[in-house]
Amino acid sequence: MSAESTLWNQCIRVLQVELPEQQFNTWIRPLQAVDDGSVLRLLAPNRFVVDWLQQHYLERILELVGDSAKGGTCAEVVVEVGSRQTEAPAAKPGRPQPVVIKKASVTPVASRLNPTFTFENFVEGKSNQLARAAASQVGENPGKSYNPLFIYGGVGLGKTHLMHAVGNAMLKDNPEARVSYVHSERFVGDMVKGLQHNKISEFKRSYRSLDALLIDDIQFFAGKERSQEEFFHTFNALLEGQRQIILTCDRYPKEVNGLEERLKSRFGWGLTVAIEPPELETSVAILMSKASLEGVELPEEVAFFIAKRIRSNVRELEGALRRVIANYRFTGRAINLDFAKEALRDLLALQDRLVSIENIQKTVAEYFKIRVGDLLSKKRSRSIARPRQFGMALAKELTNHSLPEIGDAFGGRDHTTVLHGCRRIESLREVDKRVDDDYLNLLRTLTG
Amino acid sequence: MSQLVLPLQLADHAVFASFYEQGNEALVATLSALAAQGEGHGCWLWGAASTGKTHLLQAVCESAGDRSAYVPLSMFADAGPGILDGLASRHLVCLDDIGLVAGDAAWETALFDLCNQVLDSGGQLVVSADTAPRESAIGLADLASRLALLPVFHVQALDDEQRVAALKLRARHRGLELPGETARYLLKRSRRDMASLYTLLDRLDREALRAQRRLTIPFVRDVLQS
Repeated sequence: MSAESTLWNQCIRVLQVELPEQQFNTWIRPLQAVDDGSVLRLLAPNRFVVDWLQQHYLERILELVGDSAKGGTCAEVVVEVGSRQTEAPAAKPGRPQPVVIKKASVTPVASRLNPTFTFENFVEGKSNQLARAAASQVGENPGKSYNPLFIYGGVGLGKTHLMHAVGNAMLKDNPEARVSYVHSERFVGDMVKGLQHNKISEFKRSYRSLDALLIDDIQFFAGKERSQEEFFHTFNALLEGQRQIILTCDRYPKEVNGLEERLKSRFGWGLTVAIEPPELETSVAILMSKASLEGVELPEEVAFFIAKRIRSNVRELEGALRRVIANYRFTGRAINLDFAKEALRDLLALQDRLVSIENIQKTVAEYFKIRVGDLLSKKRSRSIARPRQFGMALAKELTNHSLPEIGDAFGGRDHTTVLHGCRRIESLREVDKRVDDDYLNLLRTLTG
Repeated sequence: MSQLVLPLQLADHAVFASFYEQGNEALVATLSALAAQGEGHGCWLWGAASTGKTHLLQAVCESAGDRSAYVPLSMFADAGPGILDGLASRHLVCLDDIGLVAGDAAWETALFDLCNQVLDSGGQLVVSADTAPRESAIGLADLASRLALLPVFHVQALDDEQRVAALKLRARHRGLELPGETARYLLKRSRRDMASLYTLLDRLDREALRAQRRLTIPFVRDVLQS
């Protein structure tokens, strides 16, 4: 935090004590303070937060600022939407750097290109060979070879990677090139903002002045007629100027419902290529390549294990690999098959099932072919008492209820009865295999 | 006449130091590094209720400061996804209990947009849920795919001895001495989920201060019965 926000630091220390934790973290923590000596500006992420602050916390903030600033000069507090640009995440070394297009007459469009997505680190296999070759050609001859280049396929297969790779190749050849990657949702969002603020002409000029426009996931244009209309004109303008367009989609253009026919037709003017889910060997190669980029040596058998378990999606493969690497970095142990299985148990495990006492009673009653009412009754015959003890022991193991609560749920029994029942089952399981089997069967049924 | 207690308590904020990490060491180490050094895309953590997911997300934000945003979806699910506007301006976004909006098309589209903006700009997402991603009810495949990039951690629930240790740690963090036998007594006499136990600890803290007593079993018994 900057030095000028000392005043705000003093305020948040007090607010942190005064406010419930969730409220503090939700409303106060994300505020970024800029203090010029006379005005303390609190920058909130959006209008919603600004309104909420003004309604609920501004009065107290003003009091605190007044107290803290005694003898100082700060007289005013302003809450508004914004962020401190100087601390933008992209400033971090090694992270994607936004490239701003410089042209005096047109509002710059951020390139949003991720420099880590290149052809060099794109792992080629049968499933993506054609798409890679086409993208590579486009990177070498933008606007000339295939225009538009339309890449389609399921989620997480590398469409976005290829798209960025083309953009990065273009910038490598010509650092002055105006290349912009935009997700279709963002294109729509930018356009809506342009309309709201009477800046639609600026929006149009910005997009139509590009050398290459890369639009991801155009299926999100479906049903958004005004956006399609605008995109249609942008598309035509760029194509007429021999500027490159690359589009990705989760399906073949003709199959996208809610998209205008004239757009679908234009999408087919260039080259349409598919990316399929990677074959096992390609998945293994992807894992080895990504591990190597992280500076981690991944044994081939571990790569095969991960690739066999996660077959359809490269992002999920990468998520799994990151999980293994996180454990590796934490423990410092060598990565082997057992290590990977342990690390990925979380990803592959089924969800926790919270078991209720009622469910336990029902399951136990069914298992021993008695009625739930019997479990709760005063009957003390062994055919009833033993299943009741099973139920109590399972409730102790599988729920968060205390012994008195479990006793209450089993017909208002004392907690010592519950304790006795749990201990009885425990000792019987050690000497009687049938009791142990029954217990494990019930446990599996309830948690399976 | 009982003594009045001034509303002054030691701050008991959700920080990594007050989280009992046994069984979740790799997760805590990953989150600490992520918050302090901005490393990685983030993570998806899941587990049963009352295992400390919210505590961890808030600890991440505490550590990352004003470059982070904490979004409890339990608070905003009904209000609509407008709360997500502009959040990508914060480098690290924590989405608590994403399952509450899974299956809602408007929320999923807004989350998808947020994920793209945050991840494309090199930011981080920390997501909590009660299920692993594969079992989540997210219907938008593109969103599920983006989130699949995050390494997945299961927040392990504590056994009874670990609960005792966790309670003692939390008490120590508040400046209280909680004997092990008292902690075990609490486990036997109240709900054993950690949220309930911590709430009870709050109450005992206040009562102990009021009565100027230590947390002995007889004192705790009196409080529980009152």
